[in-house]
Amino acid sequence: MLALDLFVNGLIFGLFYALMAVGLAMIFGVLKVVNFAHGEFYMVGAYTYVLCSMKLGITPWLALPLAAVAGAALGWTVERLLMRPLYAGYSSWSIMKDEYAVVVTFGLSLLLINLVDKVVGPYPYRGPALIETSRFAVGPVMLNGQKLIAAGISIALLVGLALFIKRSLWGRQIQAVAQNRLGASLAGIDATRTTSLIFAVSGLLAALAGALLAPLINPSPDVGAFPAVKSYVIVVLGGMGSIWGAMIASLLLGVLESFFAVYVSYDYRDAFGLLILMLVLIFRPQGLIGEKGRDV
Amino acid sequence: MSGERNLWSRRLALDLRASLGVVAALALVPAFVDSPYWLGVLIVSVYFALLALGWNLLAGFTGQFSLAPAAFAMLGAYTTALLDYHWKVPLALGIPAAIVSTALLGWLLGRVVLRLKGPYLALTTLSFAEIARVVIGNSYVFTRGDQGLNVPALFHSRVGYYYLFLGVLLAVLAGLYFLMRARAGRFWLAIRDDEIGAESRGIDVVRYKTLAFALSCAICGLAGSLYGTFSQLVSPELGLLLQTGLVISMVVVGGMGSLTGPIVGALIVYLASEWLREVGNIQMIVFSIAVILFARFLRTGLWGLATRAP
Repeated sequence: MLALDLFVNGLIFGLFYALMAVGLAMIFGVLKVVNFAHGEFYMVGAYTYVLCSMKLGITPWLALPLAAVAGAALGWTVERLLMRPLYAGYSSWSIMKDEYAVVVTFGLSLLLINLVDKVVGPYPYRGPALIETSRFAVGPVMLNGQKLIAAGISIALLVGLALFIKRSLWGRQIQAVAQNRLGASLAGIDATRTTSLIFAVSGLLAALAGALLAPLINPSPDVGAFPAVKSYVIVVLGGMGSIWGAMIASLLLGVLESFFAVYVSYDYRDAFGLLILMLVLIFRPQGLIGEKGRDV
Repeated sequence: MSGERNLWSRRLALDLRASLGVVAALALVPAFVDSPYWLGVLIVSVYFALLALGWNLLAGFTGQFSLAPAAFAMLGAYTTALLDYHWKVPLALGIPAAIVSTALLGWLLGRVVLRLKGPYLALTTLSFAEIARVVIGNSYVFTRGDQGLNVPALFHSRVGYYYLFLGVLLAVLAGLYFLMRARAGRFWLAIRDDEIGAESRGIDVVRYKTLAFALSCAICGLAGSLYGTFSQLVSPELGLLLQTGLVISMVVVGGMGSLTGPIVGALIVYLASEWLREVGNIQMIVFSIAVILFARFLRTGLWGLATRAP
């Protein structure tokens, strides 16, 4: 039953990837920038969870929402302080036009990593699990208790996000701004506030992914690099900026990777995703699942 | 070019004079500093100045924002090291081989990413850099993986190495100046400012973009190869994304799109990092804040600040 085992585990990892990638896709959809500090939102979530529950003695079930709040606050602040020039007076720049966001988010990523490294320390921490049961069987597949709970919460979050985007007023405003920023503001939508909201939501999701995985991965300051790279691959696969594409591509990558690591090569499993990313960007820049005619 | 002097050639001449002044000041340093430790620090900062100049050719002059300069330094260093390790090729051939191999790889990468811009280009070059690092780090049989490879030194005098690096810096600077003054430079700037406009005026965008990629990567490859012979050890750590981050922060602080900016930025950032390391290992925190502040409020960097019209 190795194949089934790999499939289920891959799917679960796909869910975690989706929490990261969906936020990245939303940011790209609205501002057309890649947030290179996305992995650090994840890292901040993991650390908030671990430190709250270990140093302050807060129960893990309360530390989880605290991590979400920290992530949302971070995302909102980053947008307010650093992303504003992207839609105010930006078109007249002569140098660093397309690259402003790359430089700034790259700098932010280095800043957050080194700040945590200095303040908390470079050693990995292990967070307390949400549930004591370490392993149990679901049908023929053996699963880790924390992994199963985390997967359940991820599903709930993703469904909640889908409903939020589709049904709620704020969600519809996000869709409108992503489609056409000027048009949305002409229709009376506060595009600036909506952009802050998008960063807050994407920070919240990434921080929750970090908090949910904290008991499994032993967070250290550079823990975000790995999931961030995965979410770049996913966002490219799913068509940059497409939320639904990102969700499907996450599950796909999770499963593909889990088989690749066992059947092809464990050492090169990370290079595998990046190779997909390069090939897709070069041959099919609109993504495998994304809509046609997206301009590059 | 005709003899008339326009604003750009005047700015470029000023830029060249300033950068030559910096190099001349650097050449005098060994008269005052004889501690091998500080000479080593200076050699490494000149290595970074070379990477910064190479990356600036792509990002600052041509507008192609690559995230692979450190990867090309690693590839250049490994070319020389592998040729020596497997086939005992002398350094006199191994170093030029590094230039050729990184130029070819850069040309190839440039061809492949021709149509990509902004974040797409950044992601593609980032993946290229990481794949190169993972492949080198995992090919134990051929590259000895993370253990790295030993490289013979060119000579054993630190002062000698210092002047070698300075000589290379001077040569790269002169080469860049002549290119930027000539047709290629104007075309690169035109491509940076408006690619479609440049193409519509008859500029062969494909040719000049790939040329910029090949030259920039060759400069990084040469720097990496020389650095390998200086430290006598090459490892995949040369290609870490963090190193690329350092190069970017140097160029952003010094001033993108100039000759003096990257050199001054490299010196300031690397020397300051030595000092801040002693203060309490806060160098990366300070630099990342500096990069964010410069990008947000002073995009032309220190060079732009120094030459701003009053």
